[in-house]
Amino acid sequence: MAAMRYARLLCALVVCGCVGTESSSANNSGGTLAISTGGDPDVLIPSLVQSVVGAQITDMIYDRLADIGDSLNILGDKGFVQRLSDHWTWGADSLSIAFHINPKAKWHDGVPVRSNDVRFTIASTKDSTLGSPNASLITNIDSVSTPDSATAVYWFHARSPQQFYDAVYPLPIMPEHVWKSIPPASWRASDAAKNPVGSGPYRFVRWIPKAAVELVADTANYRGAPKLSRLIWSIAPDFPTALTRLLSGETDFIEQLRPENVPEVAKHPELRTKQNHTLQYSFTQFNLRDPVNHARPHPIFGNRQLRRALTMATNRAALVRSVYDSLALPALGPTVRAYATTDPNLPQIPFDLPRARQILDSLGWRVTTSDSMRSRNGRPLQFTLSVPSSSKIRIQFAVLIQEQLRQAGVKVDVEQLDYPVFLEKQRKRGFDAAIGQWSTQPSPGAVRGSWGTAGSRAASGNNYGSYENPVFDATVDSAVASFDPATRKELLTKAYETIIQDAPAIWLAEPIQTVGYHSRIQLTTMRADAWWAHIPEWSIPADKRIPRDNAPPSAASSTPPALPAGQKTP
Amino acid sequence: MLRYIAQRLVQAAVIVAIVATITFALIHLAPGDPFSAVMDNPDVSETVRQTMRAQYGFDRPLPEQFVRYVSSLAHGQLGWSFSHERPVREVLGSALPNTLLLMGVALLGSFAFGILIALIQVSRRGSVTDHVLSALSLFFFSMPDFWLAILAFLTFTYWLPIFPSGGAVDPVMHEYLGLGGRIVDRLRHLALPALTLILLASAVVARYQRAALLDVLPADYIRTARLKGLTEPEILRRHALRNALLPIITLVGLSFPALLTGTFFVEKIFAWPGMGYAVVLAIGTRDYPLVVGGVIIGSILVTLGSLLSDVLYALADPRLRR
Repeated sequence: MAAMRYARLLCALVVCGCVGTESSSANNSGGTLAISTGGDPDVLIPSLVQSVVGAQITDMIYDRLADIGDSLNILGDKGFVQRLSDHWTWGADSLSIAFHINPKAKWHDGVPVRSNDVRFTIASTKDSTLGSPNASLITNIDSVSTPDSATAVYWFHARSPQQFYDAVYPLPIMPEHVWKSIPPASWRASDAAKNPVGSGPYRFVRWIPKAAVELVADTANYRGAPKLSRLIWSIAPDFPTALTRLLSGETDFIEQLRPENVPEVAKHPELRTKQNHTLQYSFTQFNLRDPVNHARPHPIFGNRQLRRALTMATNRAALVRSVYDSLALPALGPTVRAYATTDPNLPQIPFDLPRARQILDSLGWRVTTSDSMRSRNGRPLQFTLSVPSSSKIRIQFAVLIQEQLRQAGVKVDVEQLDYPVFLEKQRKRGFDAAIGQWSTQPSPGAVRGSWGTAGSRAASGNNYGSYENPVFDATVDSAVASFDPATRKELLTKAYETIIQDAPAIWLAEPIQTVGYHSRIQLTTMRADAWWAHIPEWSIPADKRIPRDNAPPSAASSTPPALPAGQKTP
Repeated sequence: MLRYIAQRLVQAAVIVAIVATITFALIHLAPGDPFSAVMDNPDVSETVRQTMRAQYGFDRPLPEQFVRYVSSLAHGQLGWSFSHERPVREVLGSALPNTLLLMGVALLGSFAFGILIALIQVSRRGSVTDHVLSALSLFFFSMPDFWLAILAFLTFTYWLPIFPSGGAVDPVMHEYLGLGGRIVDRLRHLALPALTLILLASAVVARYQRAALLDVLPADYIRTARLKGLTEPEILRRHALRNALLPIITLVGLSFPALLTGTFFVEKIFAWPGMGYAVVLAIGTRDYPLVVGGVIIGSILVTLGSLLSDVLYALADPRLRR
């Protein structure tokens, strides 16, 4: 059926006289990658982007000074590869790093990339009127100085094991000449935001909201032209439609197949699947504070022993198998296996239903009613488990947990909520328990915001369950401050053990990303933090191309955006 | 007639104002805010969230926000869509033609198809064809719009993929096609959503039209036509149909809101970039100005549709002009 579709497309192109030249097929470069996605990018400004789709696109348009390697090492500069900076020098006291800008690097409008662009990127991100979510990631950077146009020196407040990572990972560099005349508060609404100019391997062509984003290869790029000529994000209203577009041949790639989709993809001989580790983990989070009066502990989950009993009554391996089949592993804790610092053998609270029942009995929660449910002093052992109605996976988890805990005499009411309502309830700490999921950064230090005391006490912190343990906080702080990888791993292991034994959550799953793609696409490595990082190295062999691979660049892509008044193209 | 139209326009303005106020209140009362989903990131600080809210004025009390909104409406501004980062006027301005195209095709198609079915049924009344068409009309009449849309989507894009799975054009190839190719591409994308709405609306038209035709067939002038020797199809087409069209004019006005509502669901399922699609997505992201703006435009369309129907009816029936 897909072949028929390609044949029809070819006919249409021939009739309209629009088939691109075959010369592009003669070499290894060329071809179009159409990516199915279920959502629009939020914005295409690196310092403001929040959505995953937005990050994918901006990472293709913009470049960093250096890129994290496939090992995701964050200590020092080991493994980092040159991008806009062709080399760098550490200050003698390690409180500064001087980045030398590659002299060949140019913005897509032809202006050379200079050190003032680097300084501008950091200064604008720190500007509170911009409201950049990345501002909190660069707090250790004091300032950037520019001794000459090719050198940008980062100055840090304190020496830190991950200061190189802090300098280069959170932010691609933005062109000062495009943005400096626009007040930061107006960036989102500006024309520049709708016609981004970067220095990355792909140039922006067009963004049709809720429909598509198109990029074209920057053939004059200082790093050499990427292999694929064109990238298109085909934006569907939801995941099923995005999948249908892949299956019907309208697109070539989808980033996350669900377990039930894999057999369907296997029926299409032209499609392939590939698995990749991610930085995601899911959990059932208990609210340790009373949802009505936050000053009081939660009447059920305030008790550590009870939380442990609930964890013991949950067969996590069976849950993950039921929901994900083989496309996830049981989560280890508030961490992921992709971190070099994570011990895959972290001790867990074992599944032990008889022991869970004993603990609940000993706490006074006894089976008293005819329906085998537990209660204490007339209060039933019952709570509400909130899930976003948009997540089929989390709903499945909730139903299975409901059944497993019923066997321990615990009544669970599953509550499906519209996603904004779900988030609002979490932010206001107005829930009993909720199934959540975090996508973390390559730095394990991100755990402080989501499970540390600071994240619990801040008015809008992300530690929604209000778990607080000074031992956990201190151990994580020590680990993050350690320069020695072995000590770092040892301390993080201790911190994870502490939180696992405190059971502020039932750690559910660590999904394994399964991408679906057309067999003519030759993929390379996919990184756990960003599967798209190596797209410039992906290719389509000339003999396997289909009509859309040979479509000529659109008129929009051949015309660089206009420069601000008074500026000349070099 | 002019006074009548003026009165109806005043009524319509009041209705639109009430609908806009209620929508404004309800969408703001719903839990969450425009930055809930976007800010679902452990690295986003409260300062950033507050900055974002302040930039769009969501840190102000609700009555003040309402007064500001009404004030901007009075200046012809529908506000700023933060999910599109464009003025609401521009978002709806680019979406409305798509909705009107879909509704126009659906309205024309459903009336043409519905009247045709009714004529076939009446010319063969009591036959198997009449019963089968009645049953089919009832089937589509009873069917929820979203369900039929999903069924059509699955059937023709997944099990039998002869139509594209959504959008108004092929985002990958449309720009590279010639004029003919672009027209074909647009028609292929229009086919499924339009067909869904046509099937739903034509069932209603067919049932109304059949009943209206059966009402006029016993009339004296039909008997006279028969005595003149006209054939049955000629009688139906030239005499019965013209007189039986009057109730259908009312149906135009009645079906407008239903069609617009149906369009919202159908646009969402087929990712048709119209007003309904924009508003449904805006509800999910709590894009308040876009939701309220969409509802205002929708209610204007509905009241205008109703007014148009009344005016047409009054023009067709002089007794109503008194």
